[in-house]
Amino acid sequence: MTTGEAPAGLLAGIDPERMAATVDALAAPAFAGRRAGSSGGEAARAWLSEQLAGLGAHVSADPFAVRAVPEIYAVPEAIWHDGARPRRLMFGRQMLPHLASADLPSARRGDLTIAGAGDPAGRWLLVPSEMSLFEAYGHAHGAAGLLIGRGTDPDGWHYTMLAGSDPGPLPMLTLDPATHAAMTAGSGRLAASAPIRRTDVTAANLHAHWHPGTGILLTAHYDGVGDHPGLRQPAASDNASGVAVVLEAARVLAAALPGGAGLAVALLDAEELGALGSAHHAARLREAAAAPLVINVDGAGRLEGAAAVEAGGPAHALLARLDQAGRHTGLPLKPGPAASDNRRYTAAGLAAVGIGAGMGGYHSPADTPDRVEPGTLAAVCRLVVATAWLAATNTTTLPSLIGD
Amino acid sequence: MTDKKPGPGGFTGDPDAALEVTKTGGCCDGGAVSSPCCGTSAQASAEKSCCGSTAKTEAVAAGQSCCG
Repeated sequence: MTTGEAPAGLLAGIDPERMAATVDALAAPAFAGRRAGSSGGEAARAWLSEQLAGLGAHVSADPFAVRAVPEIYAVPEAIWHDGARPRRLMFGRQMLPHLASADLPSARRGDLTIAGAGDPAGRWLLVPSEMSLFEAYGHAHGAAGLLIGRGTDPDGWHYTMLAGSDPGPLPMLTLDPATHAAMTAGSGRLAASAPIRRTDVTAANLHAHWHPGTGILLTAHYDGVGDHPGLRQPAASDNASGVAVVLEAARVLAAALPGGAGLAVALLDAEELGALGSAHHAARLREAAAAPLVINVDGAGRLEGAAAVEAGGPAHALLARLDQAGRHTGLPLKPGPAASDNRRYTAAGLAAVGIGAGMGGYHSPADTPDRVEPGTLAAVCRLVVATAWLAATNTTTLPSLIGD
Repeated sequence: MTDKKPGPGGFTGDPDAALEVTKTGGCCDGGAVSSPCCGTSAQASAEKSCCGSTAKTEAVAAGQSCCG
């Protein structure tokens, strides 16, 4: 294969069906939503390790400790009695334990009242939308718990968030806006639990290389927010889709670059906990004085117009390659937030770009494989392969003939 | 390869504009390295969360990556 023929041959070898199958596999019940430190996450890592080894890579895992990973460990109960009849609130749609909730294993009963509007003792407090959580705590001495209105996704599901607030002193439930408004207007009483716990776990990044040395580092996080009891959260777009793109790009590139020279892959854990896997890896790279060009993919599920690109560090040349690749493959690009692992590499002083091409669902049961478009997987993979090829051949002083 | 075909792909303007994303308030005013999220600080505060759900929904719908 000559240098000039390489891109066309590489791009023709990209298989959307293979990527869709990867998404299906990672989103399957056996991996339970792939929360960091869970048995599902561990099983997913073992499966991914096999996939990388099958590509001829040298594969290793790099574990690291993560503290206080939140987990809803039982189906929470919430029964609102408005004085006329009891109504059981639907887990995941009408209510969800708040990330900052204290653990409340069994249902606690109490009258409803508005935070700041009366004696809170023994009552569930409805927090008005204009009141901060900090202020609500000030009105909550002796309260049964707090009830916070929060928007849902277009399918009516609450978002599950793992990164953010530390646990507070009270049980807290988030309610969808309609339920929060109805409770505020109707009052009554509530019996509710909030079974949420925090566990120290071991997460692990997966690393693959085909040749000593790293010029191009392809990254994607494989963890998800995890299933809830009785409620699957497949994490297909976020980020089985990105992993599928990276695996397929690695398969194509490893076969084309001499010995896979300069190519490395990192499949990262604990992104949903605050990009902890990439923070761990970026620190290792700094210690080793390594400076690969990083291409991170987070969300390749539903392209609408243009893929968002966020860059950081000394990424001018990498951006130029990305632009060339976009022109070559016909994928429009736009500057936009890609708030993902790429930021950790940027913070470590590395040239890094984050690519996001949409999600059909996000942190909810709606993030299913059927919402991941094979055409989007293919478009993003073509972009990544062309960019990496341009950058890799440049580092080995081979000329690039892509571009206009 | 003799690929010179101009296409609709790539950036419409200066690619280096992608280096400015986090400096313009794209995600929690760009200070969200330790806990990445989408939306401005004001939106996040209103939602009592790191990430405003409206900002998150809009970001995801617009094809932007979003996490944390």
